[in-house]
Amino acid sequence: MIEIQDLAKAFALSKNNKLSDTEKQDVRYSKDAFHSVRNVSFSCSSGEVLGLLGPNGAGKTTTLRMLSTALKPDAGSVLLNGVDVLKQPVKARQQIGFLSADTGLYGKLTAFENIAYFGRLHGMKEQALKQRIDELFTLLNMHDFANRRADSMSTGMKQKTAIARAVVHSPKVVILDEPTTGLDIMTVQTVLDFIKGLKAAGTPVIFSTHHLDEVASLCDRVVVIDKGVSAFSGDIRQFRALADNGDLRDAFLSVLQGGISQQQQGAA
Amino acid sequence: MWQVYFKELTELMRDKKTLIFVILLPIAIFPVLFAIVGAVMATTTNKAMQEQHRYVIINEQQAPEFAEALFYHKNFKKVDTSLSTEQELISAIRNDEFDVALVIPADFASRKAAVQQTEWQLIYNSSSQLDFMYNHFNDLLTTYTEELQRGALSQLGVDPANLTAIIKPVELTRVNTAEQRENLGESLGAVLAYALVLLCLSGAMYPAVDMGAGEKERGTLETLLICPISRTSIVLGKFLTVLTTALMTALITVVSLGVWGAIISAFADLSKVSDALAAISVLDLVLMFSLLLPTAAIFAALLLAISIYARTFKEAQNYMSPLMIVVIVPLMVAMAPGMELDVTTALIPLTNIALAIKELLKGTADYGLLSLIFASTAALAAALIAYCVHWFQQEKVLFR
Repeated sequence: MIEIQDLAKAFALSKNNKLSDTEKQDVRYSKDAFHSVRNVSFSCSSGEVLGLLGPNGAGKTTTLRMLSTALKPDAGSVLLNGVDVLKQPVKARQQIGFLSADTGLYGKLTAFENIAYFGRLHGMKEQALKQRIDELFTLLNMHDFANRRADSMSTGMKQKTAIARAVVHSPKVVILDEPTTGLDIMTVQTVLDFIKGLKAAGTPVIFSTHHLDEVASLCDRVVVIDKGVSAFSGDIRQFRALADNGDLRDAFLSVLQGGISQQQQGAA
Repeated sequence: MWQVYFKELTELMRDKKTLIFVILLPIAIFPVLFAIVGAVMATTTNKAMQEQHRYVIINEQQAPEFAEALFYHKNFKKVDTSLSTEQELISAIRNDEFDVALVIPADFASRKAAVQQTEWQLIYNSSSQLDFMYNHFNDLLTTYTEELQRGALSQLGVDPANLTAIIKPVELTRVNTAEQRENLGESLGAVLAYALVLLCLSGAMYPAVDMGAGEKERGTLETLLICPISRTSIVLGKFLTVLTTALMTALITVVSLGVWGAIISAFADLSKVSDALAAISVLDLVLMFSLLLPTAAIFAALLLAISIYARTFKEAQNYMSPLMIVVIVPLMVAMAPGMELDVTTALIPLTNIALAIKELLKGTADYGLLSLIFASTAALAAALIAYCVHWFQQEKVLFR
C-alpha cells in the first residue's frame, strides 16, 4: 500500500535568475523558488496499478523521486506499507523497486553484472541472487544478452536490463518512470506483461506515462498531476467518465483545462 | 562500501582510458622522458661545444702571441674589420657580421713592458645558456697571462724552479663530503616528486570524473541513491576507488623508474648511478609511498567533490583543469634553489611532500619532519573526505 498525503517540494532559484514573462504568470514560481510539487495526494493499494499522468514539467518525476527517497519532501508524508520514507529512508528503500526515466546502466558491465550489483547492494546472498536473476531473464526474455556489456546493447535490451535491476530484490512497491518510452512494440508488450505479472502477484505499481492506451489496458487508478498539484485522483472508470465519449485523451485534456477543481469531482 | 568499490574498480579496469592513464603512461613516461631530455641535451651541448665563433681583434699587433693562439684555436674564426669604436663593434655583432670582438688597448705593449696592469675588452652577446665561447677564450687568456707572468718574473731574476709557486702560491683541491646518492637525490629528487605527485593527480582525475559527473550523465546516480546503503558508504566506495587508481599510478611509476633506471645504468655503464640507486632502501621507498598515500587521498576527495557537483563529464573536466596549475605551483616552489625541509616548509601542502621525497632520495631525511608532514597531510585529507561526504548529501549538488 502506498499512501501519499499533501506532498510538496520547492527548489531554490539562483539569485541571478530572472523570471521570464511566462514564468511570472506561472503559480509555481515565487521570487526565490520554483515550487515543483505543491500539493499531491493519492494512494495505491496492493495489486493495483496506478497511472501517473501529466504534461511535461508537471511534477511527476519530482513526485516519484520523493516517493523513492531520492529527494526529501518539504512537506507532506509518504507511507510505503506503513513505513514513513522520511523517518526510515533505508527501510523504505528496501521495499522500493524504482526505474528512473533515464534507464541508466553501467556501460562496461554486462546485463548480469548490472543487475547483480544492485542485488548485492540490497543485501541479497549470491545463491538467491543468481536464482532471481535467472528467473528475471526468463520473464523478460534476456538470456540471449545476459553477458553482453550495456554499452553495446540496443535500447530495448537496456530497458529490460533496467527493469530487471529495479525488481531484482523482489520489492514490495514498484515505481516505474516512463518505462516504455522509445521502445519497439515487442519490447513494450514484454514490459506491459511484466507489469501485469507484478499486479497479479499483489505488488502495488505506480508508473508514469504519456501513453493512454497503456493506461487503458493496465491501470486501476489514475492520478493526473498538473502544475505541481494532483488535478485528478480516482479509479479508471471515474477518469473515463470525465469525457462524454469515454475517450481517455479527452478525459485527460478536460482535467488539464478544468484545473484542480476536477480533483474534487474525481476524488475517490 | 566494498560492493561500490569493487564494482567501480571492475568498470575502470575495463576502460581503455583508465588503462592508458594508470598503467601505460607511468610505464612509458620515464624512458620516453629520459630519451627525449637526454637526446635534446646531448645535441644542444655538442653543437654549442663544436660551434665556431667569428671574431675580430682590435690592435692585435700589441699581443701577437695571443692573437696567434686565438687564430689557431679550432673554435674561433678570424674576420677582418675596419671598425674600431665600441659602438661600431656592438652594432656589427647585433647585425650578425661576427660573434665576438676583442679590444686590446693601443698602448698594451708599452704598459706590459712597464709592468702595468691593462684592461682588455671582450664584446659579445652572452645571453646563451651554454656559453662555451667565454670558457674557450678564458682558457687561452689564462695560458697567455701565465706566460707573461713567467716572462716578467724571469726578467726580474727569479729562479725558474720557483715560478710555479710564485704565480700560484695556493692550489685548492675540493673534497666533496656528499655521497653519490646525495648528489643524485639533489638533482633527481625534486623532478621525481614533481612527476609522482602530478601522476597521482592525473591517475585520479579520469576515474573521479567518471564516478561523479559520469554517474549523473549516464543516469545511474538516481538508482544508486535509492539503494538501502548510506550515502557515506557510496562516497567512501567511490573515494577508495579513485585513491586506488591514484596510488597505482604512483606505484607503477616508482617501479617503472627503478626498472628503467637499472636498464639504463646497465647499458650506459653508469655504475655510480646504479650504486646510488642501490643505496635507497626498501624503508625509504615505503616512506615515500606512505607520504603519497595522504597526498593521493587529498586529490581523490577534491576531485570527487568537484565531479559530484558537475552536471556533465565536460563540466567536470573544465572545473578540474585549473587544479593542475594549483598543484604545479607548490611543486615548483620545492624545486627552487635553496628550498630546504624545515618545520615551516613541512606544513606547506605538496611543497612538503616534494621536499620530503627529495630528502628521502638523498638519504638525509629527518624522521620527525616526515611524521609532521604525514600528520598534516593526513589531517587535510581527512577534512576533505569529510567535506566530500557532506557534499554528497546535498540535494542541490546531486540534482542540479
